[in-house]
This record gives sequence, structure tokens and C-alpha cells, in this order.
Amino acid sequence: MSERRITRRQFMVRGTGLLGGLITAMVSVPAIGFLLSPLWATTPLLWADVQGGPIDDIPEDKPTARIASIQTETNPPQPPVSRVVYVVKHQGQLYAFSNICTHMQCDVHWDASLDLFECPCHGGLYSITGRNVGGPPPQPLPQWVHRTQVRGGRTYLQVANRLREEI
Amino acid sequence: MSQRTVDPERSGAAPTEPEDEGDLIGLVPQQVVGPVRQGVAWLDDRAGFSHLLHRVLYEAVPRQGGWAYTLGSATLVLILIQFFSGIFLLLDYVPSVSQAYSSLDFLKTSDPFGAWMRGIHLWGSYTLMFIIGAHALRTFISASYKKPRELNWVTGVFLFFIVLGMAITGAMLPWDQASYWTTTVVTNIPHYIPGIGNGIRTLWRGGNFVGQATLTRSFALHIWVLPVILLGLIGAHIHLLWRHGEHGSWVNYRTRSADPGGEIAERLRNAAAPYPTRGSDPVYSVPSDTVDFFPTQLFKDTVVSAVLVIFIGVMGLISGAPLDGPANAATLTYVPTPEWFYLPLDQLLVFFPLGLVGFGVFVVVGIAATLVIALPFIDRSPERHPIRRPDVLIPALFLIGSVIYLAMLGVNRLYNL
Amino acid sequence: MPHLFLALTPGPVPGTVITNTVMVGCVALLHVLFATYLIGSTSIVAVSEVVSMVNHDPRHERLARGIVHSWAYLFGTGAAIAIFFVIFVLVGMWGRFFVTFSQFTFWVWFFEALTFVGEIVLLYALYANWDRLGEYRMARLGMTILLNVDQWFQMFFIDVIASQMLTPVVQGKPDNTSYLLQFLNPTNLPLTIHRTFGNVAWAGAVIALTAGFRYLRATRREEAMALAPNTHVEPVRALGAMPDGELVRERNREAAYWDWAGQYAMLFTFVLTIFQIWVGYTYAKEIQLHSLDSWYQMMYGWISNIFLGQFAGLGLLFMAGVAYFWRRIKAAGQPRPARRLQLALIVLFLLWLFGLQPAWWAGSYPDIVAAHLAKPFWDGGVEDPLGFFFPWKVMVLIGEMLVTLFALGTFLRARQRTPMIMGQASRGSQRLLIALGVITCLMMLIMGIIRESSRSPYLVNYSIQINHQVILQKPAPNIPLTQRPIGP
Repeated sequence: MSERRITRRQFMVRGTGLLGGLITAMVSVPAIGFLLSPLWATTPLLWADVQGGPIDDIPEDKPTARIASIQTETNPPQPPVSRVVYVVKHQGQLYAFSNICTHMQCDVHWDASLDLFECPCHGGLYSITGRNVGGPPPQPLPQWVHRTQVRGGRTYLQVANRLREEI
Repeated sequence: MSQRTVDPERSGAAPTEPEDEGDLIGLVPQQVVGPVRQGVAWLDDRAGFSHLLHRVLYEAVPRQGGWAYTLGSATLVLILIQFFSGIFLLLDYVPSVSQAYSSLDFLKTSDPFGAWMRGIHLWGSYTLMFIIGAHALRTFISASYKKPRELNWVTGVFLFFIVLGMAITGAMLPWDQASYWTTTVVTNIPHYIPGIGNGIRTLWRGGNFVGQATLTRSFALHIWVLPVILLGLIGAHIHLLWRHGEHGSWVNYRTRSADPGGEIAERLRNAAAPYPTRGSDPVYSVPSDTVDFFPTQLFKDTVVSAVLVIFIGVMGLISGAPLDGPANAATLTYVPTPEWFYLPLDQLLVFFPLGLVGFGVFVVVGIAATLVIALPFIDRSPERHPIRRPDVLIPALFLIGSVIYLAMLGVNRLYNL
Repeated sequence: MPHLFLALTPGPVPGTVITNTVMVGCVALLHVLFATYLIGSTSIVAVSEVVSMVNHDPRHERLARGIVHSWAYLFGTGAAIAIFFVIFVLVGMWGRFFVTFSQFTFWVWFFEALTFVGEIVLLYALYANWDRLGEYRMARLGMTILLNVDQWFQMFFIDVIASQMLTPVVQGKPDNTSYLLQFLNPTNLPLTIHRTFGNVAWAGAVIALTAGFRYLRATRREEAMALAPNTHVEPVRALGAMPDGELVRERNREAAYWDWAGQYAMLFTFVLTIFQIWVGYTYAKEIQLHSLDSWYQMMYGWISNIFLGQFAGLGLLFMAGVAYFWRRIKAAGQPRPARRLQLALIVLFLLWLFGLQPAWWAGSYPDIVAAHLAKPFWDGGVEDPLGFFFPWKVMVLIGEMLVTLFALGTFLRARQRTPMIMGQASRGSQRLLIALGVITCLMMLIMGIIRESSRSPYLVNYSIQINHQVILQKPAPNIPLTQRPIGP
């Protein structure tokens, strides 16, 4: 008896296993691909005007919350969502912070009595330049990717649908 | 011991007499005759319902301490309540960022029975969380996880984790403020895993930011993925319970005579199914006194479950389920607060700054979770009384105390915010 | 003569701020040592009673009885000190502060005083009838637990006062009369938990210290005989009337009992001190959030040097405990766990050395920023990626927790695998128990000094100053808000 020959029974056992594997592979490939597709989806850069008019009147060292309607997600396409843009002028620099805490992404707000940005979730603190100065946040407060436009002698701010340092 | 009546039906696998009380036919009143009676008998013969009932209901359980052993079936009833009320919520709920909130707001304002059902779903989850914790605590104190019941404990712990997952994915669905910020915080946590964390967050959210894809995914997890796993684990848990029998606690294994060895041998001789427990220490393989699960223990179970379900129904009606304002990513004033059973974990986040966030979230919690899962493999001594198991009692008190203290600190912090 | 007499007569309020501070410190610390022992030892009595009811272990009963008898002496002394403390030192020397402060915490003091009635009744009833109540074990246990609950509330009310002084509910408004807010003071909860465990740990340390001494006394003769086999050794005085054979048996019984009692009590201290690490951390965190100046003084200011003593004491306490485990397991003839414990001891020592760096070595955070060094070490800075809140100390604390838990587990498992024969302990191990007691006592004192000095220059934070003892109209923080170095 040749050693390469297999019995009928062995053929059926192995065949069942093989075909079962094929079935699994057939449904797994699209499933895993579908599951992982957000990883390689790209969102185009979309600009949005910061609402509330020009930013010339915003005083130095007084972070001011403005709203921008930003389309953060395009996979699948979604309507734009209102997001906070903290416009800060400090020592001649212009910052456009998001209010997304780098710790757990809660809503950060400016606390005038502390002179700091404060996160209500776990007590994260950021300085006026966005530096994480207290509490658990591991990174500085992120800025929206932004640009200014001068129209009719007034400065307007535009922000893109992504953060400058991806957190 | 001697008073225990040994039911011959319990051990015999032979088909049962149709007239036996407790069988399917026994449930049909004597006055009913003719086709109905015959129909029931036919159904029983073809489908074997009596056999199933015997397997499920006619088994011995420890006599003493039955009220303490009702928590497991209460957990099961509460999970079934969650399935029931959850399915009914699907009559109205739309898993869409633009309509989820308004669909629930409609329930709140215009559909009192729908609002009640939602209240039941919420209060059912609260009660379930509490009862499942009490059940785990009872199991720990009585050391019911010891050989051969290790897997009962392990499946139970995983059931608890799945229920926690159900609770958190459920909290993401209403798409009000609380729900939105819960989603944001919870889906952000995986990104502290070194290397693959960002990818996991993206996959869970279906993008970099929380949006429609996130809600759809939470919805799928909440109504399909986790419930299927949950049902599988419940099946495994109950199968293991039937296989090894209810352990009870140390009070069920006390010997009273002057000759403990003889008393235990006597018990082994007279053991009613499912005892003696296979692979168990002889001292702990047969309780000193047993009763039938049906109706003695089932009655107690039903009393406890009824009290809990009435509590859930009343609270669901008078307190209902809250609904914040609609989700608003641009808020500056909203203070995200977790549900009470997540307060300890939330408080833990306060204490681990900067580079230690991942350590606090994954290593500390992971070590605690691993220790809980591995408990039956750590505590292998035959002792059952908690006072005689200080090597696990002290660490357990440490862990339980930490969780309670963290919850209290969380309340303290939110109150003084 | 009359002139000299008049010159010796003190003024209306004796001393200066400094002498009065020293006075209040000494009396308060002494008072604290008595009070906390009473509260903590009641918990140990309750636990021992429960265990002896399950295990029928006469040693637990004997220990419980011994502790109850110690109360009679210590409660009387402690009460005398407390009365002296409140009436003479607080009212006499710090009158304005105390009267003002007790006006807006009046009801807290009132309930505090009420708990003493319960304590006196229960404590003396238990002491006088302990043996007679032996037939009613549940009733005796119930009374003990009731006493402990009463004492716990005593401590809770004083914690309300203490947290109100450290983190006033509304800064600059000490006359806040909302008692609900006073009870829910942000630092009250961590302080209460910290003290609840601290009390039991301290009581355990006192008992371990006593047991150490008693064991040494019970084995003194054996030691002397081992040193000089042929000399005649006088029997111990208390047991002198017994014949020699019975004496040795009695001694062995005594040694076995005190060996057991020392180990049992030190386990309370050891386990709860591990817990204290992170409870203390949560307490410091709440202070940081609600009284930053005090936190700053404790972590970066001059008190940080005293805090370093506490840090050192903690390490020494753990080392004494682990060294005891090691010696005791070695005496029980288990070389493998003993080697593991030896390793744990070495790691603990290295951690201890690593943690003994004073705050000013690294400079304060503004110093680092000013020197452009606020970047991670791989970019040439000094900042640790784990954070700028003394990362090495946080790491040392985490490390100490892990090592001590490992040592505890090793010891308990080894003890359970091979039951330990009591009375075999080496005399060195008992000296370690005595050291543990002394270190715990010092830590209690140091912690008191740190806590009470951290409010300087205030008596009640942001409102009543030491120098004025009057209420200021406006809060005056030490450090301007913008310059505060706030660490995570």
C-alpha cells in the first residue's frame, strides 16, 4: 500500500476541514476588510468659517469661545457639527484651540478665576498657551488647523476639519 | 437528613407516568378531559417536555440558606427583563444622530407606556448591576468557586464584564448630552494602549471623531454582538451549575454527629442528583440536607425576583429614565458624569496623570480583573469559611474597599465641583 | 520678696506664639496617640471576637481581653489630656481662634461631645463586665461594634473640623453655617478613611510592640542559658513561685502566645499601611484641588523636608515588616520563601534610597521652566515623562506597594502551606516588631506636624491667621495664582 494514498474516511475528514476553512475565509475576508476600513479612509481637508464675525475685536489674553460648523467625518458623509474654537491672542500669537481635552476628550472651558483652561471631567488644567499644567492631561490642548483671511480690512478666521496635533 | 424523601423519579431516566404531579400533564386540571388532555399527552410524548422539566426543575439543592442562593436566578430574571424591555424599545428608537434623541424625546413627552418601558430598561440595568455584584459577593464569601466549580466562577466573571459592556454601550444610544460625552470618553480610552490604541479608537468610532458611525457601532454591539455572547455564556453558566450542583456554603456541610467520617459516608450513600459533586472534596460533595429545587427553592427565587421586578416597574414608572438636552459637541458648560457603576473607574482616571494614564487604565484595572478571574486558581485550599481563608479574604477586602472608596471619592468630587 | 513673687507670676496669656505653638503641638499629638489607639484597638477587638467565635481560638479571646483591659488605663489618661488640651491650651492660649471657630462649627462640636457619653458608658461597661459577658458572646460583640461605631463618629466629627480648617467650604468665608457643606467637605472623606485605617494600623503597632517586649521577656532565660550554659539564671519575677518544669512550660506558653499576638497585630499594621499609600495620595490630591497653598507647602515648601521624614518612615516601616516576615519564616524553617522575602527587602531598601530625594534637589517647577529645562530628558531637559509631580516618588510609592503586597502574599502563603509553630520566633524578629511600633509612632507624630503646619500662616485656611487670631475680610493667598506651579 502506497503511503501517499489516503483512505476514503481520511479524505472526507480532511475535505470537511478544508472546505470549512474555505467558508470561513470567504466570509472573513470581506468582514475583516469592512471592519478595518476606517483605518485607511481619508477625510478631505474642508475649511469652515469661524462664526461670530471678525476676530479683530477679541482682546489680548482673553480666550474667547467661537463656534464653527465643521464636517469632521466624511466616511460615511455626515452633516457638519458645531464645534468650539477658542480664539486666544497672547503675546502677539494667535491660537485657535479646540476645547477637546487631551485626557478623555471632555469639554474644556476657560476659567477666568484660575486663569487657566479647566476640564470638568477629571480636573485637567491648561495654560493660556495650551500647555497642560495640571491634572491628568498627557498633552497640550490641541489647535484646529487654521488660517486667517483679511476681507474688507477685517480679519476672519477659518479652521479646517482636523486638529493640528492629532490626539 | 433522614427526613429527606428520595424521589425515585429524580434518579430514574425511565419515561415518567403521565399522572405524576409536577409533570406537564399534572399541570392540566383533573376536570379537563378529552382532546385537550390527549393533546398535551401527545405533545409530551413527541417533544419530551416532561423530560426537560425533570432535568431543569427536579434536582436537589441545599436546604439551609436558600434565601441567600436566590441571587443567581434573580440575575437571570433581570437579564430576561432587559431583553424583553430592550426589544420593545426597538419599536421606537432610531439609531441615528439626528433622530435618536427625538425618538426618545417623543417617548418622554407623548408616549407614557414607552417612557415606562424605557424606565424599566434603565432601572432594570441598575438593579441588575447591583444584584450581579451581590451574587458575586455571595459566591466569593461561600467559596462556591472551589474545585470542581472553577469554570462557574470564570464564566460568571465574564458575564459580569459583558453586562458592564452592555451597560456602557446602552448608555451611548440616546444621543443626549450624557450619552454623547459617555461615548466620547469611553471610545477614547483604548487610544492609551501603546501602538495599536489609535487604531482601535478609530475602528470603534468609525473615524477620528465621534459621529454617526460611532452610534451605529455602539448600537450593533448593544443589540447583537454582546447579547449573543451573553446568551452563550448564560448557557454555559447554567450548564455548569447543573453539572456540579448548587454548592451552597459552609453551613450546608456541617457535621453534627460525633463521627463526622461516618456522617459524610452516609451522605455520599444517600446523595440525590446532581450530588455527589464530581471531583469535589468528599466533605463538600454532598450537602447535609437537601430539598428539591422545584418548588421549594424556586418559590424563594420567585419571591425575590418578583420583589425586584416590582421595584423596577415602580421605579421605571415614577422615576423613569432621564434625558438630557440633545448632544452638543460645542458645549462649554456641560459636566460629563458617568453612571454610578462606572464611578470607581472614572475616579481612577483622576489619579493617573500624563504618561501614567495608560498604566492606570490598563495595568491597574487589568491586574485587578485578572486576579478576580483567576481567583479559583489562586485559592485552592479546601477551606470554605471566609474567616479561615484570610489569604484571599484580606486582598478581596482590599479590592472591594478600594472600589467603594473610589466610588465615594467620585461622588465627593462631583458634589464639590 | 513680694517683688520676686510678682515677677514670677505669668501674664494673662503665657508665652509667645512659638511657645504656644509648641504647647498645642505637644498636647495635641499626645492626645492623638491615645485617642487613635482606643479607636483602632476596638476594631481589632471586634475582629478578634469574630475570629474566635468561628475558630474557637483561645488566643484571640485572650488578646481581646488584654486590649479591653488596656482601655481602662488609657482612656482615663487620654481623657485627662483631652480636657487639658481643650480647656487650657485651646481656650487659654488660642482663645480668639478657638471661640470664633467653634461658633460656626458649633453643632459639630456638640455631636462630638455627645459621642463621648456613649463611649464612656460602653467602654467601661465592657471593661467591667468583659468576663461575665463571655456567656453572651453576641451581645458582647454587639457592644464592641457599637462602641467602635460611636468612636468612629467621634473621629468623623473631628475630621469635619479638621477638613474645615484645611479646606474651608467657601474660601474666605469660615463663618459658613451650612452644616451639610461642612460634612461634605471635599477633604473630609479621604481624611476619614485615612484615619480609619491609620487608627487600626497604629493600634496594631502598639500591640505588636507590646508583644515583642513580652516575647523577649518570656525567652530571656533561654537566651541567657544559651549564652552561658552553666550559670544559674534567676527566674523571671512574675513567674518566680513556680517549680522549674512548670515554669518552662508556662514560659513556652507565654512565648507561643506573644509570638502569635505580635504577628497577628503587625499584620493589621502592615496591610493597612499598604492601603494608606494610595488613600494618602487621594487625600493629597483633594488638598491640591482645594487648598493649593497648603499642598504647595507640603510638597515643595519647607514642610516638604518633614514630609521626607514621613516618606523615610514609611519605607522603614515596610522594611521592618518585611524583615520580620523574613526572620520569622526563616525561623519556621522555610528557606525558599525566606529567600524571596530577602529579595523583597533588598528591593524595598533600594526603592527607599531612591525616594529619599528632597524636593529642592529638582527645584520647583517655575525654576525648571526658567532654566528652559521643561522638556523630557531625551530632549536634554529634566522633566520626567511620567509627570512633574515628583515622578520618582510616585514611582517609589507604587513600587513599595507592589513589593509589600508580594512580600505579604509570600508570607501568608508560606504560613498557610506549612502551619507555623508559635514560640519559635527569633529574638531579633521581635526587636523588629518593637522597631515597627516605634516607627509607626514617629510617623503618627510627623504626619500631625505636617498637617498642622501646612496651613501656616493660617489657623483656618484663608481666614484666621496665627498672628492675628482674627477673621480677615479678604483671603490672601501666599502665591499669586498665575505663578502657582500646579502639578498633576
